[in-house]
Amino acid sequence: MLGPAITTQGLTRRFGELLAVDQVNLSVEAGQFFGFLGPNGAGKSTTIKMLTGLLAPTSGTIRILGLDLLANPVDVKRQIGVVPEGMALFGRLTGMEYLNFVGRMYGLSREIAAQRATELLDFMQLASDPKKMVTDYSHGMQKKLALAAAVIHAPKILFLDEPFEGVDAIAAGTLKNMLQGMIDRGATIFLTSHVLEIVERLCSHVAIINRGQLVAQGSLAELRSGVEAQVHAEAAGDGHPSALPAERLTLEQIFLRVVGGSRTVNQELSWLG
Amino acid sequence: MAGVMISPETRGQFSAIAELRWNLFRNSLRTRHGKTELVSQIFIGILFCILGLGGSAALAVGAWYLISENKAQWLALLLWPVFMFWQFFPVMATAFTDNLESSSLLPFPLGYRSYFLVRLAYGLFDAATTVGCMWLLGILFGITVANFALLPSSAIVLLAFAAVNVLLTRVVFSWVERWLAQRRTRELFGVLLFLMLIGFQLIGPTLDRYSHRQRPGVMLAVAERVSLFQRVLPPGLAGESIASISRGAYGAGLTWLMALSVYGATFVWLLNFRLRAQYLGENLSEAGIAEVSQTRNQPLRLGWNLPLVSGSVAAVFEKELRVLSRSGPMLLSLVMPIVALFVLRIGRWSAGAQGLHSTMMRAPDFGFPMGSIYALLILTNLVYNNLGAEGSGVQFFLVSPIRFREIVLGKNLAHSACLVGTVFLVWLAVNFVYGTPTAAMTAATLAALLFAAPLTFAAGNLFSIYSAKRVDYGTFGRQKASQLTVLASLGVQLFIFAVGGGTIVASRSFGNLWLATPIFMLLAIFSFAIYMLGLGRVDKLVLDRREALVSELSKA
Repeated sequence: MLGPAITTQGLTRRFGELLAVDQVNLSVEAGQFFGFLGPNGAGKSTTIKMLTGLLAPTSGTIRILGLDLLANPVDVKRQIGVVPEGMALFGRLTGMEYLNFVGRMYGLSREIAAQRATELLDFMQLASDPKKMVTDYSHGMQKKLALAAAVIHAPKILFLDEPFEGVDAIAAGTLKNMLQGMIDRGATIFLTSHVLEIVERLCSHVAIINRGQLVAQGSLAELRSGVEAQVHAEAAGDGHPSALPAERLTLEQIFLRVVGGSRTVNQELSWLG
Repeated sequence: MAGVMISPETRGQFSAIAELRWNLFRNSLRTRHGKTELVSQIFIGILFCILGLGGSAALAVGAWYLISENKAQWLALLLWPVFMFWQFFPVMATAFTDNLESSSLLPFPLGYRSYFLVRLAYGLFDAATTVGCMWLLGILFGITVANFALLPSSAIVLLAFAAVNVLLTRVVFSWVERWLAQRRTRELFGVLLFLMLIGFQLIGPTLDRYSHRQRPGVMLAVAERVSLFQRVLPPGLAGESIASISRGAYGAGLTWLMALSVYGATFVWLLNFRLRAQYLGENLSEAGIAEVSQTRNQPLRLGWNLPLVSGSVAAVFEKELRVLSRSGPMLLSLVMPIVALFVLRIGRWSAGAQGLHSTMMRAPDFGFPMGSIYALLILTNLVYNNLGAEGSGVQFFLVSPIRFREIVLGKNLAHSACLVGTVFLVWLAVNFVYGTPTAAMTAATLAALLFAAPLTFAAGNLFSIYSAKRVDYGTFGRQKASQLTVLASLGVQLFIFAVGGGTIVASRSFGNLWLATPIFMLLAIFSFAIYMLGLGRVDKLVLDRREALVSELSKA
């Protein structure tokens, strides 16, 4: 065991009357590809912002690689890479200039920053127009650049907020390979995504947040067996046969079951089509 | 008949668009900013009413005089200002406002004819059209009072002239919209307008300067040539048409009116050409073209290295200067002090006029300190909102493993470099235009800058964190700073001017300007200490304000 990469204890965040994140206790082991899921407005982005130092928690603690984030923000930030919501790009730089800048901000020497920037641009297929400014990139290109910037200093933990949104299938494949390679070399990845198929394919462990509270956490197999046991228990209680499909449950089915979205899915609009 | 009838579906669409605009307006009033905007719009509306009614009265008197005195051939003189205002005001206003959203209508099942009408209707209720129509009504009123028989024909001609104006405005708008849709052309357009505004500032002093060398013969020849040329343009055609009818030459009047109508038809064709392209879904996005990445063996591009500072400070310094170098409008504003020096030079001071010009003439020494102060003032845009242009990029600063004071220091160094560069250019310009400033004044000015700059940076850093406002230095207009920042910067500048002015005056009263330099140097030590004190508190302030910063600067 490598020990926890990310742990939170009683992590809470209030916005006035709204309790956006409520007593969240997360534990992400080093080397895990961790998916953080939840419906819109559940508290995913608020949590990831707190974990990366963009937002102060109202209460609770955050430990990253054993370090208290609030007490050692700079030491923690040196070891993490972040693709935040909005991507944090500087529009009036070229891709090369931006990556060079980011590399040096993470303490890389000028030579190494330039070398890695060149490699990353090439890897992300962004090297074709070196004079193009970031503001003129397409959304997908900006996403790739933001990812490149997040990994230029070879972080031990990577936080990704919707990393595949707007990225084409070819680029997404490249990125997935890169992320999987990082996991193989011992890095930890914490990602939020609405595309459950991607999370199911990439992530070994998942946590689900709903209305600010953590409602499920564990490996995919653990979540699956938990939901199956729950369905069987409910069916036995009602005296009906279990309604589980013959194949194993998909993450989407688990997610809907956990956040209670099945009724909405079954609703129909009679006038449609 | 069927062609004229509007189908219930189209009628529904028109009313939906009208309702949408009303709802957008109503909802905009929900915010404090929206309410402030409404107050300013009401104020501007009153100003436009005064402009419209005042202009209308003046033009009515002018038209009455020309018709009464049988000088109808000069009517074009009244129509030209109307035409110029109608065409130029909306274009200039557009460059200072947000991009139009023609594409927002395209997803709906709106027929092309309806789309054309909606786009045309957008222009019927703007300020320029309202004021233009009021002015034309004034001209019509003046003509009618002078000769009632001219009312029907003049009304038709002026109506045609108004239609031509509306159509031309829409044509210009549709092309401007096309240019504004792309960043490069949008910025170029902004720069051109900025240069045009500077050009306008030069017209007065230039005319003043050359008015001493009048040559009546030449001026008359120019006027005749211009008159010939203007007759074939819409205001000239409209004026000629009314003038011909007033002389009883109805055939000629009709011919001029027909020529005016040809303009209208041409504008309809041009508008149709542009709107059809929009309707068919032209793609003006810079980013829409898929690109195939090609690996190239490019040499490594190393970042800049600065002596005495860390790599991260050097990186921020480099980034700031690179971003500034690509922000045309901001660069232009930085050279404004030099432009101002030239504008003042072209003026009448050579003729021995009073006031500022004569002060400049008597004491060329004032050019350097005034230009330097102006340079510092211009820089406050950057200094008092030094995170404003980062947008969502501020999140990177917050997640990066360096102390925020280093980021701020890098920005301050970059802005200092801009100030040094501008002040050097001001010194060169003063040398070229007014003569070399005395060594005592040069030293005093530089020492005063050493006192003023750290104080400005200290206050600027504080307000950049406390009242950051998202701005885009690549475009003109709507770059409103926070009111709090404006007031604060005003207070700091007043203090600096008071101290600086007081020191200069005191030194002069002792008969030795050299006294100012050590005084400023002493003050500079204090202001530098204040700057360092402020810089030391930046990290704590940013930590406390990080949510507000991200929220304000990451706004779409």
